[in-house]
Amino acid sequence: MTSIIDRYVWTVLRRVPEQQRTDIERELRASIEDAVDARVDGGEDREPAVERTLLELGDPDRLADGYAERRSYLIGPEFYPVWRRLLITLVATVLPIVVIVAVVLRVLGGATFGEVVGTVFGTLFTVGAHLVFWVTLTFAIIERAGVGRGELRGRRAWGLEDLPRYEPGVMTPGQLAAAALWPVLLIAALVLQQFTFTEVPVLNPGNWTFWWPYLIVVLVLEVGYAAWLFRRGGWGHTVTIVNAVLAVLFSGPVVWLAASGGFFNPEFVATLDWGTVDPARWLGNSVMIFAVVGAVWDIADVAVRTERARRGLPTMVPGTGREFTSPLS
Amino acid sequence: MTMDATLAGHLQELRRGTVVVASLTVLREPGYGYSLLETLGAAGFEVEANTLYPLLRRLETQGLLTSEWNTDEARPRKFYRTTAQGDAIAAALRGEWGRLDKAVNELDAPAGDDTGET
Repeated sequence: MTSIIDRYVWTVLRRVPEQQRTDIERELRASIEDAVDARVDGGEDREPAVERTLLELGDPDRLADGYAERRSYLIGPEFYPVWRRLLITLVATVLPIVVIVAVVLRVLGGATFGEVVGTVFGTLFTVGAHLVFWVTLTFAIIERAGVGRGELRGRRAWGLEDLPRYEPGVMTPGQLAAAALWPVLLIAALVLQQFTFTEVPVLNPGNWTFWWPYLIVVLVLEVGYAAWLFRRGGWGHTVTIVNAVLAVLFSGPVVWLAASGGFFNPEFVATLDWGTVDPARWLGNSVMIFAVVGAVWDIADVAVRTERARRGLPTMVPGTGREFTSPLS
Repeated sequence: MTMDATLAGHLQELRRGTVVVASLTVLREPGYGYSLLETLGAAGFEVEANTLYPLLRRLETQGLLTSEWNTDEARPRKFYRTTAQGDAIAAALRGEWGRLDKAVNELDAPAGDDTGET
């Protein structure tokens, strides 16, 4: 029969590195016997003395963690803020994009309403779980690899110049990234739909002679516009006009193509069976509405920002509930 | 009840580093785990065996303690002794402890002096 001391010591040994086991076992047994002897010398019986000694030593798993210098956390305080911020950013940006793309592909593939709802939740959970799992795993590995936060950032320590400006006339690097990413995604979608997604191209391949290359050029100009605005560091009438011109240059031809029925590939539309609904008309109308609403929103947004900056009206600082009033220049 | 818990938490924070200073100081004379536990307990340090034993091994890996198995007696025991490096660190820690003690007392004392003068 195993003694209670054996059971305790072995439970500790199970969770310490193999090369330390012999040494830890000898030392731990000696320490336990010393403590028991002290209790017996003090007048206790041996059996209760052993029990009290082991109870005082406490949970063997915790003792083993102490010996093994094991971390009892996944991500420590140094990386927790970075992990949290990255995860929130990814869940707020990547997840919706992936879900929207998945839904659009399902709709174009002729899925029913139920199937589309299934796709939304399926993608949400699968992609969300992957996102959280892999980010967390990466951080847990970094935590255990002994990398410092400064090394992870790949640059100097935090400085005053890292503080955001929060001025209404100024574009943040995040806004620049978003403004540049959107046209790039559209170009990628425009090119890829020709080859992948569906058996026949979604959009009219005849337009590759002029209109699709033209739209790509306009989208590239949109990226240039975002970079220009970022470097300019302020709104103004020039910005409003340039933005409006670009919006019209993009949405004008899109609306005209959709209205004249030249936007979608007739072969692709023929593969769709939406019952009593005419796919060509619905798709055309949707594109027209999106193009017009998008253009109007874009033009109005920039015009309002410019006007507020010009009048020196207070602007909300995002996420703080505070307002910033730009000084009149 | 919560007041007690708060006090216990702060006391634990305050005492955390003292076991290291005390151990490095005591082990200038070689000693083994249980003997050190007894010495520290008698000297008024509230330290538990499950904290002290892993700590001794950690200080050894840091080079502040060396160890040697003594098999002369019936029960073989691992004896630890403070290294020169450990002694230097202990001296620096004791110096810091003295400085903090003085600083805290000075913060505590002048309040009474001020009201007396003005």
